[in-house]
This record gives sequence, structure tokens and C-alpha cells, in this order.
Amino acid sequence: MTASNEGAPRTTETQPLPIHLRPARPADVPALVGLLLRLKRLNEEFDPLLKVRDDAEKQARTVLEANLGDPKAVVLAAEGVGSEKEKVVGFVRALLRERPFYSPEWEGVIVDIYLLPLYRRRGVGEYVLRETTAALKAKGAGVVTAEFPAQNEIASRFYAKRGFRPITAVHARSL
Amino acid sequence: MAGSSAAAPDRGRPARRRDAQESAAARKSEAETDALGRRAVELSRFYSGKVETVPKVPVRSLGDFALWYTPGVAEVSRSIHADPALSFELTGRWNTIAIVTDGSRVLGLGDIGAEAALPVMEGKALLFKWLGGVDAVPLPISVRSPDAFIETVERLAPSFGGINLEDIASPKCFGILEELSKRLPIPVWHDDQLGTAASTIAGVLNALELTGRSVKSVRTVLLGAGAANLVTARLLLTLGHDPHRLTLVDQRGVLHAEREDVDELMLRNPWKYRLALRTNGGGRTGGLAEAVAGADLLLAASTPDPNTIRPEHLRAMAPEPIVFALANPVPEIWPEVATGAGAAIVATGRSDFPNQVNNSLIFPAVFRGVLDARARSIPDEIVLEAARELARHARDKGLSAHHLLPTMEESEVFPHVAAAVADASVRLGIARRPLSHDEYFERARTLMVRSGRLVRALARARLTPPMPRPAARAPRRKRT
Repeated sequence: MTASNEGAPRTTETQPLPIHLRPARPADVPALVGLLLRLKRLNEEFDPLLKVRDDAEKQARTVLEANLGDPKAVVLAAEGVGSEKEKVVGFVRALLRERPFYSPEWEGVIVDIYLLPLYRRRGVGEYVLRETTAALKAKGAGVVTAEFPAQNEIASRFYAKRGFRPITAVHARSL
Repeated sequence: MAGSSAAAPDRGRPARRRDAQESAAARKSEAETDALGRRAVELSRFYSGKVETVPKVPVRSLGDFALWYTPGVAEVSRSIHADPALSFELTGRWNTIAIVTDGSRVLGLGDIGAEAALPVMEGKALLFKWLGGVDAVPLPISVRSPDAFIETVERLAPSFGGINLEDIASPKCFGILEELSKRLPIPVWHDDQLGTAASTIAGVLNALELTGRSVKSVRTVLLGAGAANLVTARLLLTLGHDPHRLTLVDQRGVLHAEREDVDELMLRNPWKYRLALRTNGGGRTGGLAEAVAGADLLLAASTPDPNTIRPEHLRAMAPEPIVFALANPVPEIWPEVATGAGAAIVATGRSDFPNQVNNSLIFPAVFRGVLDARARSIPDEIVLEAARELARHARDKGLSAHHLLPTMEESEVFPHVAAAVADASVRLGIARRPLSHDEYFERARTLMVRSGRLVRALARARLTPPMPRPAARAPRRKRT
């Protein structure tokens, strides 16, 4: 199968975006839980130390509800456009983290980005990153970082293309 | 053959009787398979292998080896060194292919390893010679990773005019075929993907013709998303099938863009992932029952269990449904049961029912064609051309619900398919030796006929001993 058979051809940003980002609301939580679990299960594919816990669903709800009321967190919901206006098709979650020894002092960490497959490409990632970065900057972040499994080459390439470089590395071994 | 009237008596018939029929057929098939297995072991022991190297030049005395071997052969080597393309002229490379497997998915036996795959590859080599006049070398290799597989075959390629990949597990077979097709200057084929898909497409084209449908407007369900059906789906889309009207179903149900495992597919099986994103318009979810509602065509290449497709599935389809139940050795639904439930056309993978979808109708002729044209590769256009040519010959002989495809006995189609394949490679500009249609056809026919003559001559000369009688099995003999 050649590249021409791809379902979602890579096109320019001049096409209308298939999603719209807005701050997440408490009513979004059930949908966000499902999307967050999809992301964690995707991460699980990259490393056995990222195995998803049995109670992950409950945890996801707790974490998301806490984040929604937290001024140091950014949670944006991606909804469809047109007839899919009410459908939450993706989300981004980012946290403001203090850096006691380094400058800039506040780091905006993108911990989760997930979009359902049909809403990827077509400049969507670019748009999500731009909006998230703006929200973090508005909260005082002087640097934006992204956390993802080291083996996730798709994410590595995505961020590298947009000027990100690795600054710290987390190495693990199980005990 | 109206669906509703044919289905009516079946609805009233007690399920018990139908089940009894089904299990009788299953028992018969199992007993036959057992008997064939015992006989195959017996004969394998007697002949100790199915193919051997036979000289193709005269040897009058040892003196001739000064020509066939050193010193004379050195000049032949020098010529090839100066122009490597001459290896197709001055050696047997033009007609020699490797049948390469890692033994990771042999028949229905699973991952049985290279040694255990050897008898199957020998059988395939025999088929290649007998049907296609192709010299095929059985070559199971002991590798685990796709990269090692690709590298090994790449290193072997200078000895061969083509590569036939065989019995490699899905989805790694897709990446291996894609990569080798890109890297090698000779045709690479994976029969479990392309051979099965091409013969399926040939049957589909004629089934659509018979029932007055167009590939551009039918609704199709593919049951099973392994090597064969993923390629069948791709070829249907190439033929203009509307992706929205195509639905794939596997063990986890309808394949769709929001299925729970879709990200895993993105990483592990991008071929299936792309189809998940592209197909199933209208967002059907659930299982086979949900998928088949209103479908014209059900193409199953899934599990050998006659209860996989139920009569109620067929009754939920559009009028005059077409069913291909291609699992081997037992189809997903017995043809009788399918017809009883209203199927207008039923095809299986078996020779003891009408409409056998058999990759042996495709692969010998495809290789004959690409070898004679010295094609550089086998793009989908060639695969489709082989399917169209096969379909055309069934039509020429008279199409019916029981004659959808040529049978293996209609061997006159093979050189026609070979010539069509060779012509297509000329049209596509990938033939290193463009000839006329008639030249390709004559060449193919001569080489195909020669194999039969060779086998018969060896038998007449007692160089291949006649088959020994089957070992007596006491309980069976008493009955007669």
C-alpha cells in the first residue's frame, strides 16, 4: 500500500480545521475520561512500565475534575465543527510547574494531547499546540515542554519539527 | 434466484435437520482430510521430497564440463560481470524464483518454523513447475524479525528472477512485501495477500456481472482482516468501490475509526489502520450482524467454522446476496446453507463445491507473465489485470451461478493470463523485455506444456517411480 492510499492526506492549513478548541467544562469529563484512557493505552504500547492500571478510569475522572478547578492547569476540549459541534473529539491537558533552580521560573508542561484519528493531520496538531502554548503563556509560563513516551517517534518528530528539543531525559528500570 | 422465495422454506425447516446436515458434511470433510494426511506422509517417505535439480543441457562426456564448467564458464562470468543484466540471458535466472518463508504462518498450522514449512514450499515449487513452467526453489529461512527477513532476501536476490513470499504472519507480511518490492529490481509477490485477493476479485467481478451490479455502487462487507482481505479491500477501492460502502469486520467487530484498538493498529498494523479511517461510512458499529444489513456482497476470509456466517446474516443482506466463504478447509457457511438462506451466488475455497476461489488460478500465470516480460515489479495494476483476464475466460465459457471462475481443469486459461500480465507490464513500462502479445502467449504455452511433458517423460522412463499402493487400513477394507 502506497502513501497515496492514506486516509487523511496531509494538506495545507488553508483548509478549514475539523476541530475547535475551547476550555473544558465539567460536563465534558465523561468524554475526556474516554479520550485520556485511549491516550494512556496508546502509551502502554511503547513501554511495559507504562502499563495502564485497572483503576485508571476512576483515576482519570479524579485527575480531570481536579485539573478543571486548578488555576495551574490548562484543559482544553476539542470539539467537532458543523454537524459534530457537540462531539468532544480530542483534548489537551497541560500543567504549570515551578522551576526553583532554573530560569525561566515557570514551565508549561503538555502532559496529554489526544485527538481521535479522523481529526488528526490537516494542521490540527499545529493549531492545538499554538492554542495550548498561548494559554500557558497567559498563565505565566516562560518555557513550554511536552512529556511523552521516549519510544513515541511520531510525537518526537511532531515536536522537533516545531522547534522543541530534548532538555531532560527520564530513564527507568523496574524494581 | 430470488432471495425471499428461496429463504422461505429454510425458515420453516427445523434447525435440527440443518445442523445434522452441517455436521455430516463436517465429519465427511474431516475424515477425508485425515486420509489425505496419512497418504501424504506415506508418499513423502517413499519419494523423500517433491522436486529435484535436473540438468537442462546435454552431457555427452566429462569433456563437456570444460564448457558447462571451468575453463569455458569463466568467459560467461566475465560477460555477466561486464553487464549484470546478462545473468537473465546466460543463466537460468530468467526462469528461477525463490519461495521464501519464515514459517510464521504455515497453512492453518500457525508458527511452525522453517523446517516444518519445507514440505509446503516443496509442494508450491511443484505447482509452480507443473502449472507455470517456473523453476521454483523452496527456501524457508530461519529469521524472526521483518528486518532480518528483508535483508536475507535482498542478499539472495541476485540468484533469482523473482521472489515468491509464502506463509508469513500478518501484519508483518505487508511491510516485508512493501519493502522488498521497493528494494529489489525483480518481481516480488506474496501469494497469501495478492494471489488470494486477485482470485477473489476475479470472482467478484463475475458475480457482480451475473447479478447486474456495479462495483461502484455495491455495499460490501469483508469478514476477516488478514493478509487476503486487506488486499482485497485495497483492490476493490482501486476498482472504484466507494470506501463509505465498504465495511471490514474482524474478531473485534466492525472496523471503524473510533474503535478502541485503533491507536494500537496505527502502530502495529498501519495497513488496517488506514482502512479503518477510510471505510465504513455511516459509522456502523457492532458485529457482523450490524455490518451485513443491506449489503450486496459478503467476502469472508476468516475462521474455518461453518457457523461463522449464519443464515440470518444472509437474510439481512440486500436481495440476491453474493457470499464468498473462503476459509479453508471449512468455509464460514456451508454453500447449501447459504443458498437455502437466499444467497444468489456462493463461492468457497474448496474444489468439491462450485466456484472455487483458488490462488493457483493466479500465481503460476502471474509469474510466467512477469518472468517472460522480465518485469521489475508487480504493481496492483498487474494483479488486477490477472483478475480481469481470469474473469473474462469464465465469461467466455458461459457464466452461471455455478461457473463463476475457471476451474483448475480449464488449464487453457493459464497462458492467456500470463500473456495479459506480460502485456500489462509492457504497458506500465516495467518490462525489460517487451514482446508482442502473441509472442508472450506462445512462450507461456510452450513452457507450461513442457512441464507436463517432462513429468510424464520421467514417469515413462521410470525415473520417477509410480506411486506405491496406499498402506492397507484394516477396518476400511472390510467394508468393500
